[in-house]
Amino acid sequence: MSQPAQAKVNQPMKKEKVSSPWRDAWRSFKKNKIALVGTFIVIFFIFIAIFAPLLMPYEPNEQILLDRFEAPSSTHWFGTDDFGRDILSRVIMGARISLMVGFTAVIGSIIVGSLLGVVAGFYGRWIDTIISRIFDIMLAFPSILLAIAIVAILGPDLQNALIAIAIVNVPLFGRLIRSKVLSVKEEEYITAARAIGMSNFRILTHHIIPNSISPVIVQGTLAIATAIIEVAALSFLGLGAQSPDLDWGKMLDDSRAYFVQAPWTMIFPGLAIMLTVLGFNLMGDGLRDAMDPKMKQ
Amino acid sequence: MKRKPWLLLLLLTFMLSLVLIGCSNDEEEPEQSEETEEPGETKEETEEPTESEEPAESTGGTLIYARGGDSTALDPITTTEGETFRVTENIFESLLTYGEQDTTIQPNLAKEWDVSDDGLTYTFTLEEGVKFHDGTDFNAEAVVYNFERWMNGDAEQFPYYTMFGGYKGDEGHIIESVEATDEHTVVFTLKRPQAPFLKNLAMSPFGIASPTALEEMGAEEFNQNPVGTGPFKFVEWRREERIVLEKNPDYWKEGLPKLDEVIYTVIPDNSARLNALMTGEVDLIDGLNPSDIQRVEDDPNLQIIERPSMNVGYLGFTVNRDNPLSDPAVRVALSHAVPKKDLIEAFYAGYAEPAKTVMPPSVEGYNDEIEDYAYDPELAKELLAEAGYPDGFEIDLWYMPVPRPYIPEGEKIAEVIQQSFAQVGVTANLQTTDWASYIEQATAGEFDAFLLGWTGDNGDADNFIYTLLDKDSIGSNNNTHYANDELHDILIEAQTITDQEQRNELYKQAQEIIHKDAPWVPLVHSTPVVAAKKSVSGYVPHPTGSEAVTNTSISE
Repeated sequence: MSQPAQAKVNQPMKKEKVSSPWRDAWRSFKKNKIALVGTFIVIFFIFIAIFAPLLMPYEPNEQILLDRFEAPSSTHWFGTDDFGRDILSRVIMGARISLMVGFTAVIGSIIVGSLLGVVAGFYGRWIDTIISRIFDIMLAFPSILLAIAIVAILGPDLQNALIAIAIVNVPLFGRLIRSKVLSVKEEEYITAARAIGMSNFRILTHHIIPNSISPVIVQGTLAIATAIIEVAALSFLGLGAQSPDLDWGKMLDDSRAYFVQAPWTMIFPGLAIMLTVLGFNLMGDGLRDAMDPKMKQ
Repeated sequence: MKRKPWLLLLLLTFMLSLVLIGCSNDEEEPEQSEETEEPGETKEETEEPTESEEPAESTGGTLIYARGGDSTALDPITTTEGETFRVTENIFESLLTYGEQDTTIQPNLAKEWDVSDDGLTYTFTLEEGVKFHDGTDFNAEAVVYNFERWMNGDAEQFPYYTMFGGYKGDEGHIIESVEATDEHTVVFTLKRPQAPFLKNLAMSPFGIASPTALEEMGAEEFNQNPVGTGPFKFVEWRREERIVLEKNPDYWKEGLPKLDEVIYTVIPDNSARLNALMTGEVDLIDGLNPSDIQRVEDDPNLQIIERPSMNVGYLGFTVNRDNPLSDPAVRVALSHAVPKKDLIEAFYAGYAEPAKTVMPPSVEGYNDEIEDYAYDPELAKELLAEAGYPDGFEIDLWYMPVPRPYIPEGEKIAEVIQQSFAQVGVTANLQTTDWASYIEQATAGEFDAFLLGWTGDNGDADNFIYTLLDKDSIGSNNNTHYANDELHDILIEAQTITDQEQRNELYKQAQEIIHKDAPWVPLVHSTPVVAAKKSVSGYVPHPTGSEAVTNTSISE
């Protein structure tokens, strides 16, 4: 999503060699140590997710019932769970699933939300009223409750949990884009573009969208963090991954009964969730600071 | 921008410390709260009835019994489900009862009985001076009324009455008539002898209900407000929450019951229930995860009480659904794909033995010569290919939502079976629903494959094989809908003859047939355990899975 926008804006800038908002943003982001740590964590988990099959020491669903509840050791770094499954392998596999669900859900809601938001903001009038009211209605529900309701309708599995989270996040992006479009629409260069007879579609794709997208990138990063938590929550409630599928939330749910006798069954997936979410949040905060013109020194 | 990082770092430290605190606290907490909370709690509970009712004679106090699932009914004849009997054993009494920890016949409401030589006439002399909780007299007419009510019903209303071969008008029904010859004498006349007749009469579902209350309330209402002769009276039932019983002050056995009040409460989650016991919220729990037994034993305030084993946990295949499980060859193949030994090792902590047939070894007629289908995924695969399913197939595998004595952790066991089926190419989708619907749907034969089990009611082989797998029992307890006429003939013959040796031979044959057709994969015979506070005494778990708490007492 961010790639084309960046390219578009970068083109004229290369010739002029003046400071651009994107370059400024990168410069200030680089200086932000905390944000870099966050980025590093995120990249680390993405790396794990991509190379999961190579990194897993065991088959994550392989049950060795005689080896259940083994404490962390050199053979099982993170110990084993109640079915004698290797927790390290499951955390690694869980990284792949949780991140994939997080990314896909957020990208889905960005696409749908942006489309609706742009249409609402650009065309205004009754279209705006309808779309905005729908967003209001959706935002009136606590997001996890809405997600639970959607999963209840679709039936509990990981894919439906993903869809539910995507739907829940749509109004977030829709509103964001809409308000940005509303302000960009009034800029003089848009009036100028109109004056020289540019078509609505071209104005939208060439001027309004590229100039409205930056808050979405920030919001998107933060939303991935939320999405990962929401997926975990749904799985924890038994509405997400169904066995034999796994994700971090399901691992927490599975180990709930044993956290006293085998705390490692809960600690490692819990830590994984915490670290990933922390990474995305730190990175997102850094991005926000870097991209917000008001925060410029 | 300067401040944010510090805030986040602070947050991170905070979260980490939370995690760490969380971990260390878990182990200390029970002991601490045991000391602080428990005395207060117990006092509160015991004072209440003492002050409000009979301050003079009351010494009993309140027992809070936590279990995994709620009762589905309180009129015991309307169900076959153990959580109901556990409660109704205290409210109702049958004509006969069992020994304290075995299934020998003991007098109860009937103090003496006499059997004619041909085994067709049973004459019972009833206890005198017994009253129902509503104040009406218990007498021979009441017994007749109850039996008339049951035999005029059907399998849907009174499922357990099939123990007597069917209902009025059915060919298999063995009771010709029940008559009151005087105030305290009842005569049963049978059409043909039934060997386990007395044992059947002693079962919990055949508790005698007050005819007056039944007439006044109607069956629906009575099911919510039971009236019997038992040691405890019904007080209130809040569904999925608690059932409260209070002492029956006019109980006919002198000096009993010892408790003033019993509360059966529901805590579905096994570990939450154990925590409730450890913090002193409840006095006694069942459905303990076997892996937690050690924790209880290490606690100086708690004790483990073993229930003598008389059960079977099984994986049932409904045989008349339109899927590959209707083929016995497929069922045999899948029998080779269940790692029973590992299951027991993992989920029973040694409190179980692998099952190879319908009934446990402690029951007479057990066929020890049956060779169990060994766990062998490769062989299972081959057999599946031979049966015409080289690429496997897909089924729904249902597991019960509540811990049962025979299968304390249904979901876990289902997951293991799912995994081992996957190894032979069979995809099993795990499904569950609430306990009452689970039983209902299982009975209706709506599950492809399901976990369930059975705790013997009377210690007779008939109560396992006939009850669970005869074609007569379809619609009550034969959830696989397995019907085999050869088996049926054997089982009916075994009911009719009274010579125990001959009966044992017939039951052994029956087990061979079942083994061959494999409507089940018998999984385990478990030794269920309950955990209680040390202050609870006189609680003697019965092998049938339900017992009155008449002799139980609780000390400060």
